This record gives sequence, structure tokens and C-alpha cells, in this order.
Amino acid sequence: MTRPSVLVCDDEPNLRELIRVSLGSGWVVHEASDGEEALTRARSLQPDLVILDLMMPRLNGLDVLSTLKADPGLTRTRFLVVTAQPASEREAREQGADGVIVKPFAPEDLAELAGTLVTLT
Amino acid sequence: MGLAAAAVAAALVTLFALLLVAILSYRDSSNTARHAQQAIASANQLEALALDLETGLRGFVITNDESSLKPWNHARKAYKPQAEQLQRLASDDPVQAQAARDVKASIDAYLTDFSVPLVNFMRRNPELARKIVQEGLGLHRLETVRSRFDQFIAGERKLADERNAKARHTARVAIVLGGVSLGLAVLLIVLLIAYLARRVARPIQLAAEAAGRLANGDLSSRVDERGVAEVGTLQRAFNSMAASLERGRRALEEQNRKLRESERVKSELVSSVSHELRTPLASILGFSDLILQRDLDPADRRRYLELVRAEADRLAALLNDLLDLQRIEQAGVQLTREEIDLSKLLEGQVVLYSAQSDRHTLELESDDGCLVVADRDRLAQVVGNLFSNAIKYSPDGGVVHIEARCADSRVRVTVRDEGMGIPVTQQRQIFTKFFRGDAGRRLGIGGTGLGLALARDIVEAHGGRIGFESLEGQGSTFWFDLPLAAAGTPRGVGLSDSRRSGGGS
Repeated sequence: MTRPSVLVCDDEPNLRELIRVSLGSGWVVHEASDGEEALTRARSLQPDLVILDLMMPRLNGLDVLSTLKADPGLTRTRFLVVTAQPASEREAREQGADGVIVKPFAPEDLAELAGTLVTLT
Repeated sequence: MGLAAAAVAAALVTLFALLLVAILSYRDSSNTARHAQQAIASANQLEALALDLETGLRGFVITNDESSLKPWNHARKAYKPQAEQLQRLASDDPVQAQAARDVKASIDAYLTDFSVPLVNFMRRNPELARKIVQEGLGLHRLETVRSRFDQFIAGERKLADERNAKARHTARVAIVLGGVSLGLAVLLIVLLIAYLARRVARPIQLAAEAAGRLANGDLSSRVDERGVAEVGTLQRAFNSMAASLERGRRALEEQNRKLRESERVKSELVSSVSHELRTPLASILGFSDLILQRDLDPADRRRYLELVRAEADRLAALLNDLLDLQRIEQAGVQLTREEIDLSKLLEGQVVLYSAQSDRHTLELESDDGCLVVADRDRLAQVVGNLFSNAIKYSPDGGVVHIEARCADSRVRVTVRDEGMGIPVTQQRQIFTKFFRGDAGRRLGIGGTGLGLALARDIVEAHGGRIGFESLEGQGSTFWFDLPLAAAGTPRGVGLSDSRRSGGGS
């Protein structure tokens, strides 16, 4: 059984590391440090899951989300949004987020939510 | 307006005077008529007396009876006062006065030349006297008297007629002139009313309409100020009131706009601070959980603990920024001064910030021995803010070049990045508290909008200056300079200096 792939998009290296470690060894983890990088890597990798921070340089997370949701090559991909603003959860879901998690989060919660989203595929 | 009123008054006075003239003329004319009647009556009485003289004489001659001479005697005595009365009545006109004298003279002549001699003659020779009468010698003389009377009466009538005609003419002229001036007065009153309507009523009506518009909120409502006298005063007062209201409302609107702007800035700050707090908190809680819950090898555990520590430092720095800001706003910058080697301070900060980004290279070029008397933590804060901005606003990574040059008793520190730069439209606001560039917000670059505002307050409190040059898309160069320690700045260690900052404007 192949491990599911995940693209972690966050401008903070520390947070990317936290997410990677939280997910554990069951994932193939790729990283992007801004919105534009997130777009190109998601299109080329076509991962099972994209974890998106909403506040990123160059292109914000909501724009990345709506662009990727409209991409015909990514219909299988699930999107998990990470935000520091509880208020932006509704907006993220409207743009097509499959799951939303608010910072700060417990590593186990993130791993569990990511696993659930991918298993349902 | 005063001129018109005066003209109306003059016309009315003229009208009254002319009516007075007409009334006086009419009275004059009736006086003349009465006077003429008196004179004619007096003449008739005198003529009756003259006839009495003649008839008395004839009676005496025919009867030769002395008693029949009684009317003659009476008339002879009475005619003189009667003639004097006539002369008095006729004295106001030289021609009539002469006529009255002629009347009296003719009676005098009749009496002396004929009547009295005839009476005396009768007493001596009645036959001859009777013959004289029968021959009508007396009648001829009497005719003269009568013609004198006729002349007087005709003259009197003519005079009365003339005077009457003159008085009537005067009255007619006065009535015509009165009518004309009445018409003129009416015309002037009409003109005055029209004038008042145009110059007074209409401007007041316009002012009332303007006041109505003002009341309905149109504060730009104004009236023409060229009205006459009090109307002009009213118009100017109205305009100045409207202008004052408009200024007041504009000031209120401006104040309101500022309040809304400050509300917006504060709400953005809360949202920004919330994000800035949650991100390090996410790392701290997340890595602590990992350390507590998982079996990690010692190297990983140590690394995660270091990350927790670094993020906690970040949180502390953010809290310090907020507290600093509050303190500076309330009391100005408090400095604890000591002698500092600026090159060493810069080296320390370069090491610190190099660790924060794997995509940026921090280059330092510094003259040796740039000594300043400054507050070490504050100065580190300024340098840190500039480094942090240079990294944050160069999302593609790149070189951050830092230089420190001592010259002319001052040291200048420049921090040059290769980032996105600052649009010209935002350059003026860059030191404003809470201000964050559009790009920063749009691209989700973290920050409180406090760093540069704090940096300026701190640099200025040290007697320095801070500034920048930037081209959008090509990076920014921020710089600050400070006086060198050797340049006479007090070198006392721990000297406390409290200077109010200029505030963020």
C-alpha cells in the first residue's frame, strides 16, 4: 500500500515542520512556502491532500484554494485549511475547503483530520 | 429708498398747499361778491337820498308848503355820511374810489348849484321858481347825478366780476395742479411699493428660501450679498452664518472620518495581533504536545525545544512591541544609556536574524569602533525591526546588505534589501503607527504596523534621524544615524534620559 501524499503550504518553516512531524511517517510530505509555489507544486504533484495556511506571502490561501478547486487535474485532491482566524472558517468552507483547523491546534487532531479526509476519498 | 419717500412726502405737501390755495381763492371770491353787494347797496341808498332831494324840492315848489320840505332837509343832512360810507367801501380800487368821489361831487354840485339856490329863490319868488322847475332845468342836473351812480355801480359790478373770475381761475388752476400732484403722489407710492418689493421683499424671500435649504441640510446655500442697507446686512449675516455652519460640519465630518479610520486601524490591529499571537502559539503548543506525547530521539526533542523557545521569544517580542507602544504613547521613550560598540551589536543581530530565514543572506560591512551612547535593548530593537522588515518584504529571498559607517561625529547604519519596495503612494505613511502596506496585508505578511513607528521614536529619542529610499519592485534601503560617543554626548553609564517622542503622525 502506497503512502498518501500531502503538500504542506505555510510561509513559516517552523509550522511546516510542526505539521510534517504531526502527520508522522505515514505520509509523503512535500512543502511550499508561499501561495504561488503552492499552485505550481500542487499542479505538478497532484497530491491526495493540500494543507493550506490562509495568510501567505505573494498569494493568499483563499485565492490558492479557489484556483486549485477549479483545476480539473485536482478533483481527487482534498483541501485542509489552517487559519489563525476562527472567523475565516466559514469563508474557507465556501471556497471549497474540505476541513478547517484553527491555530493553535493539537498535533494529534491535525493528524486525525488529515487521515479522515484522505480515507474518505 | 429714502429719496422716494421724500418725493412722496413733497408731493403730498404740494397737494395740501394747492388745496389750501383753492379754498382761500374760493373764500376770496365770495368775500369779493359780498363786498360788491355792500358797495352797490350803499350806492342805492345814496341814490334814494338824492332822489329824495329832487322829489322834496318839487313837492315844495308845487305846494309851497314848508312842511313838505322835510324829506329834502333829511336827505340833505343824511347824504354826506352815506357818501363817506360809499367812499370807504370803494377805497380798495382807485378807479371806484374816484367814481365814488365823482358821485359825491355830482350831488354836492346839484345841491349847491341848483337845489339850495332854488329853495331860497322859492321863498322870494315862487312863480319864477315854479317856472324853472316846469322848464326842467333841475332834471338835467339830476341826470348827471344818475349817470355818476350808473357809472359807479357798473364799475363795481365789473370789478366784482373781474375779481370773481380771477379767484375762480386761481381755484381751477389749484384744483388742476392738486389733481396732478395727487396723481404724481399715487404714481410715486406705486413706484415705492414696486421698489420695496424688488429691493426688500424679494431679497428677503430669497433669503428665506436659502434658509429653508439650509435647514434641509444644504449647507452650501448662499444668497447674493448686494442688497441695499439692512437687506445687505441681513444677507451678509446669513452667508456668514451658513459658512460657519458649513465649516463646523466639515470639521465634524473630518473628525468623524478620523474616528472611523482609527476604528478601522484598531480593528485591523486586533486581527493582526491575533494572527501574530496565534502563529507562534501554534508552534509552541504543537511542539510541546509532540515532546510530551511521542517518543522522540534526543536530537529531535532538543530541536523542538529550541523551536518552542524561539517562538516564545517571538511572542515576548510582540508583547513588548505592544507594551512599548502603549508606554511611548503615554510617557515618551525611556532610555537607559551606556556606551555601546555598534559593530558588535549589529553582528549579534545578524546572527539572530540569519537563523530566521533559510532564503535570505544577511551581509554586514561595518567600520570598526563606532561607539555610541545609547540604550542597548532599544537600539537592538531598532536594528531588529529593520532586519525583520527587510526579510519579510523580500518574499523571494535574497541578500540583505547592512552597512555601518562612522564619519563626522555620526554613525550611519543602512539596511538594503532586494524585496518588493514601497509604492510611492504609501511612502508618506510608512512611519505611521499601525500602518501596514497594502502588499503586506494582501500577501499575508505578518506584522503589527508598529515596528517602524517604534524605531523612529527610539532613534529620535537618541538624537538621531531615520529615513528610507525605495523603488517599488526593486527593494528598499532604510537608514538611521546617531551621534558618536566621542562627539560630546554624555558618557555616563546608566544615565536615564526621558524624552517625549513626537508621536506617530
